[in-house]
Amino acid sequence: MISRRNFIQITLASTGGLCLGVTTSGCGGQQWPKQGQDASLRPNMYIALQPDGGVVLTLNKSEMGQGVMTSHAMLVAEELEVPVDAVEVRFADGAKQYRTSFGMQQTGGSTSTAEHYVPLRQAAAAAREMLVAAAAQSWGVAVTTCVAQDGAVIHKGSDRRMAYAELLEPAAKQPIPENPRIKERSEFKIIGKPMVRNDALMKSNGSARFGIDTAIPGMVKAAIIHPPVLGSRATAVKADAARAVPGVIDVLTLEHGVAVVADKYWQAKRAAAMVEITWSRGVMDNLNTDDIRTSIRAYDKDGTVARSEGNANDAFASDAATTTLEAFYEVPFLAHAPMAPQNAIAHVRDGEVEIWAPTQGPTVVQELVGRALGISRSDVIVHTTLIGGGFGRRVVPDGILEAVQISQKLGRPVQIIWSRESDTRQGYYRPLSACKLRGAIDAQGTPIAWSCHLFTQSLLGAQSDFLATVMPDWSSKMARQVLSRSASALASTGSVPDPIALEGAATIPYDIENLKVSLTPLHTRVPIAFWRSVGHSHNAFFVESFIDELAYAADTDPLQFRRGLLAKHPRWLAVLEAAAKFAGWGQPLPRGMGRGIAVHESFGSMCAEVVEAGIFDGEIKVARVVAAMDCGVVINPDIVKSQVESAIIYGLSAAIHQKLDIVDGQVVQGNFDDYPALRMHECPEIDVHIMISKNDPSGVGEPGLPPIAPALANALYAANRVRLRRLPLMAALADANQ
Amino acid sequence: MKLTINGQEREVDVPEDVPLLWVIREELGLTGTKFGCGEALCGACTVHVDGKAKRSCVTAVGDVAGAAITTIEGLAPEGQVHPLQKAWVEANVPQCGYCQSGQIMSAAALLQARPRPTDDEIDAVMSGNICRCGTYTRIRKAIKQAALAGAESTPTAALSTLVTTADGPARVAAASNIPAAAAAEDKTNAEDKQ
Repeated sequence: MISRRNFIQITLASTGGLCLGVTTSGCGGQQWPKQGQDASLRPNMYIALQPDGGVVLTLNKSEMGQGVMTSHAMLVAEELEVPVDAVEVRFADGAKQYRTSFGMQQTGGSTSTAEHYVPLRQAAAAAREMLVAAAAQSWGVAVTTCVAQDGAVIHKGSDRRMAYAELLEPAAKQPIPENPRIKERSEFKIIGKPMVRNDALMKSNGSARFGIDTAIPGMVKAAIIHPPVLGSRATAVKADAARAVPGVIDVLTLEHGVAVVADKYWQAKRAAAMVEITWSRGVMDNLNTDDIRTSIRAYDKDGTVARSEGNANDAFASDAATTTLEAFYEVPFLAHAPMAPQNAIAHVRDGEVEIWAPTQGPTVVQELVGRALGISRSDVIVHTTLIGGGFGRRVVPDGILEAVQISQKLGRPVQIIWSRESDTRQGYYRPLSACKLRGAIDAQGTPIAWSCHLFTQSLLGAQSDFLATVMPDWSSKMARQVLSRSASALASTGSVPDPIALEGAATIPYDIENLKVSLTPLHTRVPIAFWRSVGHSHNAFFVESFIDELAYAADTDPLQFRRGLLAKHPRWLAVLEAAAKFAGWGQPLPRGMGRGIAVHESFGSMCAEVVEAGIFDGEIKVARVVAAMDCGVVINPDIVKSQVESAIIYGLSAAIHQKLDIVDGQVVQGNFDDYPALRMHECPEIDVHIMISKNDPSGVGEPGLPPIAPALANALYAANRVRLRRLPLMAALADANQ
Repeated sequence: MKLTINGQEREVDVPEDVPLLWVIREELGLTGTKFGCGEALCGACTVHVDGKAKRSCVTAVGDVAGAAITTIEGLAPEGQVHPLQKAWVEANVPQCGYCQSGQIMSAAALLQARPRPTDDEIDAVMSGNICRCGTYTRIRKAIKQAALAGAESTPTAALSTLVTTADGPARVAAASNIPAAAAAEDKTNAEDKQ
């Protein structure tokens, strides 16, 4: 793995040259103007200072609500000495130099701020130093006597002042500094201050343009009819009636579905209702989630050992093990259910294609669309729009590929829009996962053995196209596909450890002498993808619920029990103590309510949560959640808080309500009635505390999610002494009441 | 047929049963109103018809010809910001932002009926709008802030006209976590569709 230091150096090396410029048009393809082609100052691919005084930041991260447009504008403003609202953000188009995430332009893994914290500030600082040098030169004074301040350079001796806009031409003639000075933390004026998001107003007055709102001249619209059984195909299509609907242009059979294309989407939808389709017997006709669950329970072999300390088997058999607990935990397949259903625009032309889409992964789009069309991925131009909810779903470009197929056939720009039911039923789910846990405590109540056997589908195997994207453009398509396939095969068979499947389980921090974590990969052919916090989302539920079980078995307070096992992990301990303190751990609660706690590390950040909840009239009521998060240095504390709130609500939807059942290959749930999301009346009071930290920034968008399900399950146990070991908890409750 | 949208009269040539949502988005080019579920389950498409919140995805355009339709673009006069929009920005409410037009339109209808809504009244009306980014605590705060600022100084409608209390249709009632009030409102929308 590439070290962080090297990574930054490589990033800078690829951005520091004069030959590099950026596109500022937002839709100008990959012919980015070079320095000198227009009147802007472009010291690197990120920053362009405009003659009108504005600053354009070309951002190679997608905005899906996590606030990168704001936090990254703050990073630039801090070093460039301009007001934050002077920075206009545009999205990079997937061109080579923007692939800074291990060779990809990609937004995921809660990495955006951690990745850009230094390079983006250096990029802005380079521009600032060029402007200061240009002003000093024109005044004939020493550079050290000049400072940048509020969009201008000031000569300290004479109070002479020149606005940046007046300095663009001479600044462009300055050498680009290779190692510009960035601020010490003590010098920050913007970083660390709560600030209103720069996209808040446009998202409050209807003017924000999302992918679905994008219009391209000559564009037509397509409604897609997807197969009821995952993976099946249309074998016969009767579309005469549909074709006769005014506005309908064509009815096309796609790889997995039928597209009805019309001038307007409402016309396409009307016509789609009239199409009669015979579907092939799909490869998944016999697939049932209940069968998968039963098979896992019945499986009696051990998994591939991923971590082993001491000797767990011996410890369980020893006399010291006075109490031994065994438990089976499970979580269902989950759709991401972003508010905006999948949508995309593609325009296939001779030898190239232009895409407008709310995507988290322009490079993956380039790789897969390039493969589909048999063109170089550098001829796939990706315009990233605002995203109406990502959560990992918009890493997979399946909808985009449909738009490409249709545009290729019709030779014009096409927008596809999925129904909510397609968005729920057509896959790329959080994998169904389960865990067999065993723990032993001695006579003093100390846990002496821990065994955790995970069952999950390999995301590394399923989403291995990522591996192909990290290889350079010049590598052959064959080589890239071979890499994908071999990695996929290795991960799926369990012959290499799958870090995504194991994250949060193999990395358990508790100091237990004999410990074993193993994995049995599942093979279900259900399409899976990254779902907010990924493996952590289920592994935290398994680990943090079962450690709670051990605490109660040891007759020890769950907070005290965790404390005793975290002495070597001060950052974990700190968030745990903070959450407990602000939640008033140990204080009396109203009748029927209980308090549960959980702590988890993911994406480099530690988060502890305390939940107050109870069961009333058969419904789970969550009254309050207190979170403490350590995510290193914070750029915008209000965005961090809102992300933790978001992760809690998103996690509660999954913890309380959501599951997908597959019966004979068909996903049962389809819309927000049977796949419910948490609503206003169910929303608890949420109190987020951010730890003061000197560490570099780490993940923010996801780490608030993993602790919420176990903290809630633990609270319900505290309230009712009913241990719920299955998500969603409403389903577990129904099981318990049977 | 003639439609009155945001105070302007517009002519559209579509069948009467086309959902108002798609007429607004595709025929009138106003894209602030969003498509989320198509079944009046999520509220992303909420607009006002004669001052009342409606789910435009299940409202047939023929049923609202002649009515005053307001979308998010017309909530405040041109160049101005509605007190709710101001409160939304100050509370840093939007994240991905996709649901927020619908949230604000529902909140505006609420404040018209209840200038100082209680938590229960906020729950009853706003639980018809889903936000997957989970901005609910901030929405609640922003509604209260706007109420304090006097978003609507004179109450113009009783809550009962905003949210009817009849039982909802089977589909909406089946949604396990929609409270009766929001489901009832969706029922009136669903009936309009028929």
